[in-house]
Amino acid sequence: MTGRLDPRGVRFAATVTTVVLAVVLLTGSGVLAALQAVVFAIPVVAGMRWSPYGALYRTLLAPRLGAPREREEATPVRFSQAVGLVFAAVAAIGYLSGATVLGIVATAFALAAAFLNAAFGFCLGCEVYGLLGRVRAAR
Amino acid sequence: MGLSAAGVAVLIGVLVVATVAGLVLRRRDGRVTQGKGTGNGWDLAGIDPDPADRVLLLQLSSPVCTPCARTREQLTALTAEHPDLRHVEVDVAEHPGIARVLHVLRTPTTVAFDRAGTELLRVGGVPRRADLQALSLEETR
Repeated sequence: MTGRLDPRGVRFAATVTTVVLAVVLLTGSGVLAALQAVVFAIPVVAGMRWSPYGALYRTLLAPRLGAPREREEATPVRFSQAVGLVFAAVAAIGYLSGATVLGIVATAFALAAAFLNAAFGFCLGCEVYGLLGRVRAAR
Repeated sequence: MGLSAAGVAVLIGVLVVATVAGLVLRRRDGRVTQGKGTGNGWDLAGIDPDPADRVLLLQLSSPVCTPCARTREQLTALTAEHPDLRHVEVDVAEHPGIARVLHVLRTPTTVAFDRAGTELLRVGGVPRRADLQALSLEETR
């Protein structure tokens, strides 16, 4: 379930996600938003090793890059995939039901988070995960 | 399928705002910032300074946090060089009160206190190499 991830793979997945969500905004395609929601849902349900973009990274890039210098905890990343799933699902519902504004807004939030991770290595969902852990402990 | 004009505008807007936010975050990450002075570190950690302790480096961490482990390594190495530094790591999930008193939102955050418990400075994120030496606080000797 939980494991240790290659941070370069996480960054790669965020980059692909950024491109996909940008195309969703440009085309207004609810179907593409739904596909991205499925991509988010698989690792949330089955574990990070089943992440489609992660598998793409392991097949295409990891063999050329060699072993990572350090590994990253999987749990916060998986949590951020769940947050991405909610936004992508809302975006898909918005676009497909004709509530285009809802689709645009939800896609914009998901895109901002994915872009921050891809371009700056800053995982917004992971920060939120840390904060939630404290809220849970405080109760 | 044609391009959505609103989508194009939102895409540009999101990329601009996120880039600015990312640059601000990157600029602050791992840098020494001024102490906020909202609590006594020794009292919060529940320890008394040993006679040899000059500065307390209180590291606030969370259980699943990769940069926290890297910060721990750095501070362990720093305290090996400077035996009068005391490095104490607390888990904010176990001690949410400490993070609240110190107004810490991100982990890892390292807060430096003098012997009297007054906050000297803090670093959010993994301390940068250049800023790590500032954490040894040689001038407060």
